[in-house]
Amino acid sequence: MSLSEPKVYLSFLVFLPAVAALVLAFFPRGKEEVLKFATLGVTMFTFILSLGLFRQGAGIDFEMGVAEMQNLFALDWIPSFGIQYMMGIDGISFPLVVLTTFLCVLAMGASWPINKHVKAYCILFLLLETGILGCFVSLDFFLFYVFWEVMLLPMYFLIGVWGGPRREYAAIKFFLYTLFGSVLMLIAILMLYFNSDLTELNATQLANTGIISFAEEGDAQSAMDEWLAGDSDLAKEYAAVNSANESNADESTRRQLHTFNILALQQIGQNTSQFQGTALFGQTVGWWAFLMLFVGFVIKVPGVPFHTWLPDAHVEAPTPISMILAGILLKLGGYGILRICYPICPHAGYDLAYFVCLLGVVSMVWGAFAALAQKDFKRMVAYSSVSHMGYVVLGFAVWSAFGSNGYNPEYWEMGVNGAMFQMIAHGISSAGMFFMVGVVYDRVHHRNLEEFGGLFAKMPVYSGLAVGIFFAGLGLPGLCGFIGEVLVVLSVWKYSYVLAIISASVVILTAGYILWAIQRVYLGAEYKGPHPEALVPITMRELAIASPLLALAIVLGVYPRVLLDYMQPSVDRQVERLAELTEGFEEQEKARQELEGTEEVAIARAQPRLPDGIFGSDVLPNTTLKFSSTEPAQ
Amino acid sequence: MDPASLLPSLLTAAWLIPLASFVVIVFFGKHMGPHGKLAGHVATLSIGTSCLLSMIALFGVWLPSHPVEAVSHGASHGTEHHEEGDAHQNDHEADPHEHEKEAASVGSSPYQLASYALVAEDSHEEDHSAHSNNDPPPYYTGEYYTLASFGSLKLVLSYYIDTLTVVMFCMVTLIATCVHVYAMGYMHDELHDFTDHEVTLSNGAHLKRPGRYWRFFQYLSLFCFSMLGIVIAGNLAMVFVFWELVGICSYFLIGFYIERHSASTAANKAFIVNRVGDFGMLIGMMALWASVGTFAFGDMQDESGKTLVTESGEIADPGLFTQLRTAENDHHLVPTEQIVKDGERLAWVEADGSSESDSKAGSWLLLIAGVGVFCGCIGKSAQFPLHVWLPDAMEGPTPVSALVHSATMVAAGVYLTGRFYPVFTPEALLVIAYVGAITLFIAATIAITATDIKRVLAYSTVSQLGYMMLSLGLGGWMAGMFHLITHAFFKGLLFMGSGSVIHAVHTNDMTEMGGLRKKMPITAYTMLIGCLAIIGAGVPLVGMGLSGYYSKDSIIEHAWSFADKNPVHIVLLIAPVLGAMITAFYMFRLWYMTFAGEPRNKQRYDHAHESPSTMTTPLIILAVFAVAVGWNIPSTDVGVSNMLQQARPVGTLAASQGVLLENLTIPSEHDAHNYYIPAGLAAFGTAAAGLLLATIIYLWNLLNPSEIKQSFRPIHSFLWNKWWFDELYWAIFVVPTMMIAKLASSFDRGVIDTFLHGTAATAKGGARVVDAVFDRTVVDGSVNAFARGTWDFGLMLKKLQTGSLRQYILFIVVGALVLFVSAFFTIVIAGS
Repeated sequence: MSLSEPKVYLSFLVFLPAVAALVLAFFPRGKEEVLKFATLGVTMFTFILSLGLFRQGAGIDFEMGVAEMQNLFALDWIPSFGIQYMMGIDGISFPLVVLTTFLCVLAMGASWPINKHVKAYCILFLLLETGILGCFVSLDFFLFYVFWEVMLLPMYFLIGVWGGPRREYAAIKFFLYTLFGSVLMLIAILMLYFNSDLTELNATQLANTGIISFAEEGDAQSAMDEWLAGDSDLAKEYAAVNSANESNADESTRRQLHTFNILALQQIGQNTSQFQGTALFGQTVGWWAFLMLFVGFVIKVPGVPFHTWLPDAHVEAPTPISMILAGILLKLGGYGILRICYPICPHAGYDLAYFVCLLGVVSMVWGAFAALAQKDFKRMVAYSSVSHMGYVVLGFAVWSAFGSNGYNPEYWEMGVNGAMFQMIAHGISSAGMFFMVGVVYDRVHHRNLEEFGGLFAKMPVYSGLAVGIFFAGLGLPGLCGFIGEVLVVLSVWKYSYVLAIISASVVILTAGYILWAIQRVYLGAEYKGPHPEALVPITMRELAIASPLLALAIVLGVYPRVLLDYMQPSVDRQVERLAELTEGFEEQEKARQELEGTEEVAIARAQPRLPDGIFGSDVLPNTTLKFSSTEPAQ
Repeated sequence: MDPASLLPSLLTAAWLIPLASFVVIVFFGKHMGPHGKLAGHVATLSIGTSCLLSMIALFGVWLPSHPVEAVSHGASHGTEHHEEGDAHQNDHEADPHEHEKEAASVGSSPYQLASYALVAEDSHEEDHSAHSNNDPPPYYTGEYYTLASFGSLKLVLSYYIDTLTVVMFCMVTLIATCVHVYAMGYMHDELHDFTDHEVTLSNGAHLKRPGRYWRFFQYLSLFCFSMLGIVIAGNLAMVFVFWELVGICSYFLIGFYIERHSASTAANKAFIVNRVGDFGMLIGMMALWASVGTFAFGDMQDESGKTLVTESGEIADPGLFTQLRTAENDHHLVPTEQIVKDGERLAWVEADGSSESDSKAGSWLLLIAGVGVFCGCIGKSAQFPLHVWLPDAMEGPTPVSALVHSATMVAAGVYLTGRFYPVFTPEALLVIAYVGAITLFIAATIAITATDIKRVLAYSTVSQLGYMMLSLGLGGWMAGMFHLITHAFFKGLLFMGSGSVIHAVHTNDMTEMGGLRKKMPITAYTMLIGCLAIIGAGVPLVGMGLSGYYSKDSIIEHAWSFADKNPVHIVLLIAPVLGAMITAFYMFRLWYMTFAGEPRNKQRYDHAHESPSTMTTPLIILAVFAVAVGWNIPSTDVGVSNMLQQARPVGTLAASQGVLLENLTIPSEHDAHNYYIPAGLAAFGTAAAGLLLATIIYLWNLLNPSEIKQSFRPIHSFLWNKWWFDELYWAIFVVPTMMIAKLASSFDRGVIDTFLHGTAATAKGGARVVDAVFDRTVVDGSVNAFARGTWDFGLMLKKLQTGSLRQYILFIVVGALVLFVSAFFTIVIAGS
């Protein structure tokens, strides 16, 4: 048990806030300042822990340029259902983990004006952080779901207790929306679980799932033998299922080894036809699972038309909670789509790519239009989130790898990387924007855009920072928003030029609502609202929160590789795998057309081609190969 | 001295120094001397250094390694012009100079550009007839760093340096230096507490605020950095980055008086209208990106400036221009295979696999790309239909108008059109020409009636930019770019002159000026030079004149040449010729109204005085340039037009034929010289007529302007209201957008949320029904019934409790008996 073990380090990272929350519960009353400092200290320590992963060459670190899951570990948790305590990080989750711990520090700093039930607030805040971090690092679907729900409850109370006048309405709306998504997700999880069978994966694929591990240069098969000879519960179960199936020739009563392992489900979705069985209305299991998972996640993103909880939640939530909500929670939706929807159900993803893209584009346009009409400053920022997160959804789905386009997955890589970049960039800019709104709200206690004006004269430093952060949201080059948006938009033409044109038009609307808001709030000769005397210059605490955000926005905008170098290998690998699958679809479609002599262009939903495993090139002709504990095939 | 490493270092330094100045002023500006006075010095010093570096780059590095040949068929070599014009009458190949250059690049491998100058010496032996099109110009390109890369797709920050880049650097930094010096005088008011007379507070007082001198220079420095970024950019994506950055600088500078609602509205308008153009530009970029996969202008080079080649001799990493205009195709624009493929995906393109349909599909895609990118230029250069922002942009301080909104930033659109020239198909060029022609005409007509001195100049700027675009669209690349340079000097001069006037009389309204030449002679006569330069004053047929003469005459030559080949498009000739007359009219109207005649407002006149030397010195410097920038340096061939000739984009010399419009011919640039005489006479005649008319009305007062106004009331009102463009756009764009916005917002609340609330209410109602029907009757009923039964049973049993001992004993005995019997029977039955 030392910190250099992944299982200890990652668990520590995830559960430290929760443990601290427990300790805080025994804190004496009346020392609220101390409580806040203690909480801030915990979030800072968590942040430092997450930064510790940058330390190259340590026992546990995150290596740049590596595509595979790193610091992966799996412990049996509920063996009878194959549920594992499994965590790991790769280029997709690592930036999000760091973003989370970073924004939690800033949000806690922004929590200073909160004076109501401070202890409960701090406890819930820390629990929320644990929930979010858990979601990003867990690789077992059941564990993921548990963290997902853990995250939901503190948020409900944080909005419902510490929020504005309509807080209860907003909190229940948020809760029910998300719960609706969770229910769909749960159904999908169970569908996938009961259709999965680990025993159909070969050694290389199993190695890809992290279930068996071996030293570098090692051979997957021998590692597998070693694993089977070991005393892991899963290995025993695996051997038992295999031997039962060997003695049972009847296919219909074959035993299966179900799994919640997300990586294994990805392998199954991409390499076998287990999720290709027909479910309702002629669609496959995978198709339904994709749809339900997607809806579950897109509520979180949020995409139109599942977005109306967001403006209400933001308007009512206290500033720091808005920062976390916009900065991190929305990213969970995007993360889920990228980590779960696409790799587990690639066939459905391919079928529904246009639908998903369209949803992204509609969100972009809709959010921008709605933001233009808002009178409430915070509501406007909330709608800008809807618009900006639309880029994320769009970028994920620009499936430009097909033959009629000259088979070029590079544009898709660009789109997905751009979407991931946009997630981080939006995490910074939207948290900053909400904080900036909060700063004036704390002073004058209103958010009516028509009743501001002239803040530049009264709070020059604050206004300068705010304009900078708003410009990051506007997508100004040199700031983080630009890179994500331009990468996504440029990648779309290859997929569909109609969507590309619509998505490009959003730049006009974005400029419109942001500049108009800046004009109404910061420019002008005099302040028009109540409490003009309260408009004092920015405090050191506020400066310490706002300036790192702006600095990060500039760094990411000027040198985006700071982020891309960590993120891109993992994203590219996933896209390449899925793109290879597409090539399979295309080939089958061509073959089918030749066979039938039809010109109809449809997507073949036949057996996918097997991509090469990452550890070798042992492509199997079919996936029905079985292997036993004693004499594995291949 | 190796230009391949020296040029990039010099220009990069010249580019980054203003950024450093910006950063310094952002953090320390307020504390630099009293009220940030030193910030002005820092900014001026930094841009001055940039200017010096640019000059070194041009005269110390570029010219020695790339000697200028007398290749110009522009107007800059006086009497020689006749002969050259004649020589071109039949065939351009008769001109030996021409061939020296062309053959130079053909003689070598087209891509070994560094050896260009060397080859030029022995190129006379080369075959002169084997080619009809020009090769790429000499350039140096290289990368700073990669922003992002995806397989073969790369977004990088890179540089691309040819003569155009270097000349633009010199022009921008020189004018910017003048403007900085000028602004140190002009912005003097900002050095102490400033009372803004245009802002009235709710208590009726004027706004009093601390000065913002340093902030002005902070924005100017950022602007210079962004502008130079556009010029040095080696790829379209980088151009777009700095394109947006100059947009935001312009936003800050227009809205410098943030307290004035009109200023912040104008700033918003400028940025948003520009974004409309950028939307088009994004489309163009997407189309190219998807089909070509690169934004780079030049081919990748090694450190010594040699093009990288693969082992088989092919270009390793070809840029946009090389891919579209390959040497095999004689540098004619031919769509690549992938472009054709992507073009066929367009809904309206019918592909039947024939080479003709392929070529059409490719042309469509290139047209979208070209016109798309040109949309960005329309926005930035304030061309029709996006010209509406520029006049409003005059809300900014006058130095800004001089630098940003006349000389440099708005010229960026023309610059990009020129830089991107090899990608434009003939159809795209026609679009450009028409946009230019419409713009130059509309803007010129509006300038006739405007009375705000800065707005007249603003419309004049729009109109002159229209000339440049027209020229580029007609195939006159050289003439357009030449006019860009000359215009920058005289328009900068005119704006600063107007600023000097405004500074003296504290109004923009020309109807309150008059007779000022006595009070401020330097301003008046430098502005006169500017006016003469802009109308293209010169001696026709002799070929001597101010800078505008050369560039404007060659634009009209091109128009003539084009109209001769394409009689359908005769309007493209009429517009510039007529425009020349209107230009002369409104420019001299401006000068007469301001400086000549009797003062119209005595009080303002008495108050007026010549501006301080910080303001007049830049005027004099720019006046010298306005006169002479079109000339060659005496006894050499070094002049702007000859230098620009070195940067001629690949494949733009030959005539080209439209694909989608089959009758369209973009004539070869040489052909224009055939029209030297008629064009020169037409330009001179119309300009003289305009000048005469202005003199008659405003100097000699032979006609009364207000009577003319009366008799042409509807036309005057139409022009006075700027053709009603603002009102039209308000009605057809802004209002519907806001309506859709409101609709979207209320849809969320009205429909989606109502649906949700409905669902919630239904669920709640359903729960109530369940509660009432099932829980209350069935569940509660049975529970209650059970309770009641128990209660009743208890009551019943209560009666047994009598307190009589005998009765109890009886119960016990009976009970025991019953138990015994039942137990017995159970055992017996079970036993059996």
